[in-house]
Amino acid sequence: MTGGGAQDFTEPEQRKLTRLCMQTAQLLMQHGAESALVENVTVRMGEALGLEKIQLGITANALSLTTLTDEHCITTVRRNIDGGINMHVVTEVQRLMLRAERREITLGQVERQLNEIKPLHYNKWLLCVMIGLSCASFARLMGADWTSCAVAGVASALSMLVRLTLSIWHFNPMLNFTITAFVATSLAGLSVPLAIGEQPRMAMAASVLLLIPGYPLINAVSDMLKGYANTGLSRWIVALLLVLAASVGIFMALSLWKIKLWI
Amino acid sequence: MDLNIVMVLQDMVLAAIPAVGFALLFNVPKHSLGYCAMGGAIGHGLRFVLTHEGMRIEWATLIAATLVSFIGVYWARRLLAHPKVFTVAAIIPMIPGKPAFTAMLALFEISRSGFSTDLQATLTTNFLQMSFIVAALALGLAMPGLIYRKPII
Repeated sequence: MTGGGAQDFTEPEQRKLTRLCMQTAQLLMQHGAESALVENVTVRMGEALGLEKIQLGITANALSLTTLTDEHCITTVRRNIDGGINMHVVTEVQRLMLRAERREITLGQVERQLNEIKPLHYNKWLLCVMIGLSCASFARLMGADWTSCAVAGVASALSMLVRLTLSIWHFNPMLNFTITAFVATSLAGLSVPLAIGEQPRMAMAASVLLLIPGYPLINAVSDMLKGYANTGLSRWIVALLLVLAASVGIFMALSLWKIKLWI
Repeated sequence: MDLNIVMVLQDMVLAAIPAVGFALLFNVPKHSLGYCAMGGAIGHGLRFVLTHEGMRIEWATLIAATLVSFIGVYWARRLLAHPKVFTVAAIIPMIPGKPAFTAMLALFEISRSGFSTDLQATLTTNFLQMSFIVAALALGLAMPGLIYRKPII
């Protein structure tokens, strides 16, 4: 199978290939790949499988794909449901495409391996501990004393647990960010009345850093710079809303507990 | 205070930890975690040295992020994975958390205790600094994509 160049396919064959290309695009789009990568990998996958031409339309909520072979077109549209950032999936899909491109695997293998790709999820407790350590390091990099770093670490580890729990329950991400930011600020803010550490302000600043929407922001800029302004803008808005949601949580905590950080 | 190797190493180790922490959050494949840590350490370490030598933090961030993204391209070709797998986690330690939070506090204080030029000044300077650093990070990361015209792998 998968010989070089375009081939003639029967309609059921072309349908199957179209579905495989769409599955490739969907896996990438759902797990946080930038639009240029989604298009590049999908088109190359289709060409590697012997299709003549592949056209991919990308929007934030849906993907449309047309394959062309021997003057026959098949078009399909799929909803794009966010599956959370998962670079493991993106890497696996890309490697599969590269293997198909080098003719190392057959069509049947591509199909089977594509279905076998499952998102990698690190252990919940490991994540909490590592995010706690990360935010403690952030506090230290900002110049806080070790006690304030410890405050930031504990506050962010606990709020990470809240964030993961809420996302397992499929809470709205914005609401999740507001609640998590509220918990983080409240916990770190406890160090003000209890007089723990010398820089409670930095402890609080570091403890909410676990909410940085890194991938949406970076992908938004990349997309817009590479000519995918529509997906770029929607990613940008999502990132901005997440930041805004987190700020709402911080404001609520500051105002509710009457935390005085300004001199 | 003179720059010494211990300070730089401490800075690099402190930056490597959040890089790995966020790499876990982004579900980066296991064998790439070490590269994320290295990228984080190199980027933040370089920025630390440059700002210590008197460079403005925005320029230092741009140079550090650009270097990290080109190292990411090198790793991407060797390990057959998209460069962003390594580089996004690696630039996380350089995120301007302090200016962002200070700006937010100033905004909150204006809404609570009323307008004052001091608060407005704090808000504006910190917000601008945050914006420029974020822009430098984003631009630095996008650099290889703008320069190489063919796909990286």
